Amino acid sequence: MSGGARRVLGAWKLGLVSYGDALRLQERLVADRRAGRVSDLVLSLQHPPTYTLGKRRTDHNLLLPEAELRGLGADIHRTERGGDVTFHGPRQAVLYPILSLRAIGLGARRYVEGLESAMIEVAALYGVAARPGAAGETGVWVGDRKIGAIGVRISSGFTCHGLAFNIDPDLGYFKHIVPCGIADKEVTSLRREAAVELPPDEVIHDQLVQSLARTFCFSDVEVKDESECADMVCLAAATQS
Amino acid sequence: MALRLWASSAANALKISSSAARAAPAYSISRYFSTVLDGLKYSSSHEWVKHDGSVATIGITDHAQDSLGELVYVELPTAGTQVSQGEAFGNVESVKATSDVNSPISGEIVEVNAALNEKAVLINESPYGDGWMIKVKPSNPSELDALLDAGKYTKHCEEEHAH
Repeated sequence: MSGGARRVLGAWKLGLVSYGDALRLQERLVADRRAGRVSDLVLSLQHPPTYTLGKRRTDHNLLLPEAELRGLGADIHRTERGGDVTFHGPRQAVLYPILSLRAIGLGARRYVEGLESAMIEVAALYGVAARPGAAGETGVWVGDRKIGAIGVRISSGFTCHGLAFNIDPDLGYFKHIVPCGIADKEVTSLRREAAVELPPDEVIHDQLVQSLARTFCFSDVEVKDESECADMVCLAAATQS
Repeated sequence: MALRLWASSAANALKISSSAARAAPAYSISRYFSTVLDGLKYSSSHEWVKHDGSVATIGITDHAQDSLGELVYVELPTAGTQVSQGEAFGNVESVKATSDVNSPISGEIVEVNAALNEKAVLINESPYGDGWMIKVKPSNPSELDALLDAGKYTKHCEEEHAH
């Protein structure tokens, strides 16, 4: 018997979603995935300006007091994901895969490498030669400049949180943190690195989803559009499980 | 007698020496051949238990530490906390991924490995020795019977790997 079974990755295109709403939706979906009510899926979205910290609560990597960061119009969240402090904002593609790693036969390291690989593949579509980080520097780099970040949570083999790929966000927001705890390294974007014109963000989001699907050996992607998803986001927000 | 297929540290050395380390074969080899010790019991989520009289020591297996990558942070509960079989008691962080660690048995935590606060990588270096995570007073010793022995755990790893 060959490995020809159809494995479908659901792709939920959510548009602009607040960090809190996305978090609540993920919690609900991980529970659903665990119970077998949904199959593997990825959330594809962008966030309003938001700083987030990982489980280790590396507050020292916030370079301004919280009140000042909020004054800049940013939200701040402390999360249960791995990784250090980062910034999310409009024009940055955020993907949150909710997958069963056991079903795919992957451990944390190979999963994260898959996320890096998907971002590298998409950067290459625009002529940008990105590479994975050196040991201890998970993420995607162009030279010494970081173009993609990763922060993941795995509970009993189910994933949430994921990756953030800079298409053309306002990089000024990164100046107020030590991104990912790595000082002296710049943050960059596809816009800065690519010599070609970029298509609308949605195209890049779709390419990231397709690349993820290929990397993790899904045979098909089934897209759920913003209009179909809006209800799910509200439902998750209203009925916090 | 240890059921030793390959030392995973040797496999790690192989991976490190190959700069195109993303190629599948190196990973297959390293994940396939990890150390499994006789005399311990195992959970299907890759934790081990060593039952010594009234106390059980718990940690994650060689297979688990290898598939996580180098650990940079370990979060453990405090002594006195109750744990339940199959539920998370703490978590570990590697490669920007925080992964839950589940307890194979129920009981009260009597000691946690404080050395892991300073040196999370102990778990990678010595997953069955210095990298132990918690010691538990089992509330229901019969739970150990439901766990996997070395042979069954090895088979479980092979089956998981065959994807």
